[in-house]
Amino acid sequence: MRNAAMTKRPARARNMRRWLAYAILIPASLIAALPFVWMVFGSFKTGREIRQVPPTFFPEQFTLDNYQTILSDKDLPLGLFYRNSAVIALANVAQVLFTSSLFGYIFAKFEFRGKRVLFWFILATIMLPSQVRMIPGYLILAGLGLLNNLAGMIVPAAVDAFGIFLFRQFALSIPNELIDAARVDGASEFRIYRSIVLQQLGPALATFGMLTFMFNWNAYLWPLIVLTEQDVRTLPIILTWYSNQHANQIHLTMAASVMVIAPVLLVFMLTQRWIVKGITLTGIK
Amino acid sequence: MTPLPRLSRRTPSRDSAKHTFLGFTVTPLVLYMAFWTLFPMVWGFVLAFFDYSARRAGGPILGLGGDNPSVGLQNFQDMLNTAPDAPLIVRQFHISLKTTLLFAVLVLPLNLAITLPLAVLIDSVHDRLKGVFRTFFFLPVLAPSVGVAIMWGYIYHPQRGLLNGILGQLSGRLIGVSWTGDESLMILGIPLALLAVIVAYLWQDMGYNLVIFIAALQSIPESIRDAARIDGAGPWQLFRHITLPLLKPTILLASVFTMISSFQVFDIIQVLTQGGPNDQTRVMVIDIYNNAFRFQRMGWASAVSIVLFLVVFSISLAQNRLLQTEWEY
Repeated sequence: MRNAAMTKRPARARNMRRWLAYAILIPASLIAALPFVWMVFGSFKTGREIRQVPPTFFPEQFTLDNYQTILSDKDLPLGLFYRNSAVIALANVAQVLFTSSLFGYIFAKFEFRGKRVLFWFILATIMLPSQVRMIPGYLILAGLGLLNNLAGMIVPAAVDAFGIFLFRQFALSIPNELIDAARVDGASEFRIYRSIVLQQLGPALATFGMLTFMFNWNAYLWPLIVLTEQDVRTLPIILTWYSNQHANQIHLTMAASVMVIAPVLLVFMLTQRWIVKGITLTGIK
Repeated sequence: MTPLPRLSRRTPSRDSAKHTFLGFTVTPLVLYMAFWTLFPMVWGFVLAFFDYSARRAGGPILGLGGDNPSVGLQNFQDMLNTAPDAPLIVRQFHISLKTTLLFAVLVLPLNLAITLPLAVLIDSVHDRLKGVFRTFFFLPVLAPSVGVAIMWGYIYHPQRGLLNGILGQLSGRLIGVSWTGDESLMILGIPLALLAVIVAYLWQDMGYNLVIFIAALQSIPESIRDAARIDGAGPWQLFRHITLPLLKPTILLASVFTMISSFQVFDIIQVLTQGGPNDQTRVMVIDIYNNAFRFQRMGWASAVSIVLFLVVFSISLAQNRLLQTEWEY
């Protein structure tokens, strides 16, 4: 009897707390979603409705004209900008995953001269704000003729100090026996990396790959400096350019924002499991 | 007898295989990092001691010297000039340093005050709904910050914005507050535009700490909390004496990350206000960007970025201290 009463009371209290939690969380999440909702609704309003004072919340006259205007705008070849963003992001994911896993593995499992100095240097670059290297980085690209070139976004981004650090931590837990056994079997060192190490690091590769993609896809400051000509620009740059050009037609800029934000948000939402895992694992920003 | 010579032959060849492997991988890494990491770092520090513009030809070595003369410590000495009649770029540096500190100091407690209770609330609901709520609050993290800024621009818009619309509905009058464009509007001495930018930044940024805190809460065994409940602890006591102390290392770490990234804020401010009105939201990275790439004062901008580096670095050091004392007990 007493036992039953004791388990019942915390259970009832827990239910109470849950309902209280819902009572706060549901309105809070609606408020959090409001900026998105406002933008999406706005993108379906007519130019006349958007100028109304006071503004309407739901579109009174639902229209797809804004999207049609944007898709037929010859100054805004969205496909090209999607391509630019994709080329940069995918290339950087590929090379960063390659170098991070390879050198993470090397720092975890090999001894060589200068290893400690090199690793200390890599750690130090993580602590350094990227703005310190920004101006010389720009000058180097200018000297190499890589400004206004997608390669200017890719070539300097091949090594990610944080990625090396992270994959070293993961590679430390690969059993040495596994690697030595492959050596006894006569596998080449690169073969060991390719077939054993990469396999062992698989989940970390997926997670870090998603984070790197997101980081590159959303990047603003560096592409703003490097890509100043229209045909090489990425989506975030083009979105700000377009909304400055059409500052008085925000029904159009709202539709453009939806077209730039929505697809990638959908992809990220579907893969957010990995992204969340990556963030909780690494604390990366 | 046969295995021995085979082994002794194999070991040196294996060593040389390792050697070759390291030679082909580490050598390019060292060369690459020397050129793309170390060289720009050193160059960035050197630039801070020059009056440098990429538009001027200058001397033979990296364009330094000649028309881009060395100024010694002049840039840093100028930064210490706090007289009201100091040159505009010096005053703008002071404004940007102050604004950045104010921004970071406001963002951190506001962020924690929202994310911690929110994480506890989300942790307490049914497992299946946890993911739904987490997604809701995490979504802004995934959006491009430029898009987030433009979105908030629609909310703050003086005539067509949602915020003035709501306030108008509530008060029954027409409201035309310029949330990000009127320098005379202040709350407690803090420019309204800066607060508006902070709200947008928080909205995007809080998802990070939220997922970190939810993960940390889930790692606390329910048995500890149950034991405290049986001992008669209420929800507040539970949070104050069980959850909070167990979360402390996570909170510290998250605070440092939040601080460091808020010192480097750029995207949202550049798109929403470009540092205005009248430099009220001019943070350090905006100051660096404007000086270096709009006005070609790259020497001065490098000096500002070194100050930014020192600020961020000292926070990282403080973090190490804090975490070490944390580990001791």
